[in-house]
Amino acid sequence: MSLRLDDITVTLGHGESRTRALRGLSTVFRAGALTALVGPSGSGKSTLLAVAGALLRPDEGHVLLNGTDLAALSDRERARARRTRIGYVFQSGNLLAGLTAEEQLLAAATLAGRRPRALRGRARELLAEVGLAHRSGHRPDQLSGGERQRVALARALLSGPELLLVDEPTAAVDRARADDLTGLIARTTHGHGCVTVVATHDPVVTRAADEVVDMQQHVPADAG
Amino acid sequence: MFLALLELRAARGRFLLMGSVVVLVAALVGIVSGFTTGLGDDTVSALRRMPATHVAFAPGSDSDQFARSLVDERAAADWDKEKGVDATPLGVALTRGATNRDVEVDLAAFGVEPGAFTDPGADRGKALDADEPHGIVISRQLADDGVRVGDTLTVDRLGIRLRVVGTTSRSSYGHVPAAYVTADTWRQIRFTTPGTDVRPEELPAQYSAVALQLPAGFADQKLPGADRRHHTATVPLQDAFAAAPGYEGERLTMTSIQAFLFLIAPLVVGAFFAVWTVQRTPELALLRAMGASRRRLLGHTLAQAAVVVALGTAVGAVLAFAVGLLVGERVPFSLPASSLAATMGAVVLVGLAGSALTLRRVTTVDPMTMLGAAR
Repeated sequence: MSLRLDDITVTLGHGESRTRALRGLSTVFRAGALTALVGPSGSGKSTLLAVAGALLRPDEGHVLLNGTDLAALSDRERARARRTRIGYVFQSGNLLAGLTAEEQLLAAATLAGRRPRALRGRARELLAEVGLAHRSGHRPDQLSGGERQRVALARALLSGPELLLVDEPTAAVDRARADDLTGLIARTTHGHGCVTVVATHDPVVTRAADEVVDMQQHVPADAG
Repeated sequence: MFLALLELRAARGRFLLMGSVVVLVAALVGIVSGFTTGLGDDTVSALRRMPATHVAFAPGSDSDQFARSLVDERAAADWDKEKGVDATPLGVALTRGATNRDVEVDLAAFGVEPGAFTDPGADRGKALDADEPHGIVISRQLADDGVRVGDTLTVDRLGIRLRVVGTTSRSSYGHVPAAYVTADTWRQIRFTTPGTDVRPEELPAQYSAVALQLPAGFADQKLPGADRRHHTATVPLQDAFAAAPGYEGERLTMTSIQAFLFLIAPLVVGAFFAVWTVQRTPELALLRAMGASRRRLLGHTLAQAAVVVALGTAVGAVLAFAVGLLVGERVPFSLPASSLAATMGAVVLVGLAGSALTLRRVTTVDPMTMLGAAR
């Protein structure tokens, strides 16, 4: 199992603000390995996550997730892939306001057409796995930044994703919690055997990663 | 639906506020509808209950015809000779009187031929009888005002004494309770000058109109010719309602209020859902990023709107119905279940139409905004 990016070129913006974010990028991310994407702001980390996560269609190239070219899928098929094959943990704004931690997971499951009642047990297991069994009935405003990221991680794992994409997971948490969260993501990756790609500036994450991709090596000459 | 309901619960304060507005708008629409129907009934129910298909007035009067029009008795007789046509003279006059028990009442005196199709008969007591020319059958409102069968009712200033012989169901004309007298008695009420002593046979043989029961197809083909021959201007019964005093003005006023409410409802609901959608744009982007299809987000938004609008309208309908029960028959209010259901159905539709105004924003949310690159 792997995620293979093959000769990816992405152009963002329109008119004079048009910028080439990625040009001819090719790389492979292994299953069961935590890969850190590093590089300065504007180096294309988030763009790569968007392309890998079927949020953005590249101008050129192939995004092969276990043999399926996500770049070649229709909008509807890419949305289905995001529901069933890909898990996301975003930097912020991860959770739906007013819903408890458990409901966050169940709500996500309903997007994939699954019955919430049938998944309640699995949702509790995953919350326990990320150390939040005792917080399952709490809403986002009752959770710390690190806890919110853990809920998002549990939610991303509910569909049993082949690909886990994490955007700056430690940006809004303190040092100790960053260590905990990074360890949790690494353990989850090894335990679930998924392809995990983390965009980060944080050396803590880089140290815990099995592999590191430095985006500076892929910066197009005309990137702004 | 699961997520839509979770969000409704999570933002219950906002949705309760919105629901309350829908409740008030729906209740107001229901109440206005009740008054529209009630006022309409109060103005023309005596005409509406007549089993006539058409009414022939004297030509030349375009409004308030029942007061202005005078049709010769001969025209009624000629109309009755038309093949398949049943015609009978009809007099309508507003007057007032007092009973021998000092009950003072306003009444709309309908002059009808006893036994004709315009004769309402009697629910209690006796119907009009040609052999008892000074009998009067009163509608139930007059009975509610204290007039009893057996009373003698004297018409103000004219001194015409009428004996109350029976009562009939609720009917009124121009917000005045109806009472039925023989056509000859009606002519006395209409044409007698106070202080004079005129014998009935000296009074003009004229009536307000001729009530007609036309056979099928007559109105389409033969009516213009018949009107020319009989010097009348015939209109369908429904159009004759406009001849009742105030009917058109009231309807226009009440319908305008309803129309404004039907304009306000979608704007209010649309404005709420527009703000709600803007507020939750990041969450919609999150859902899109997690793979929610545009169709699912549309369904999700419409489901929320449907719950709020349907529940709000249902409560509003109950409120309007309760108002109807509360006011009873003291004011002209009529809100039958079918009318209430139709009105509330319209409120739901315009409410959902209002929420639909925000759907474009829901479908154009960009999931890329969830990523650092787009922030």
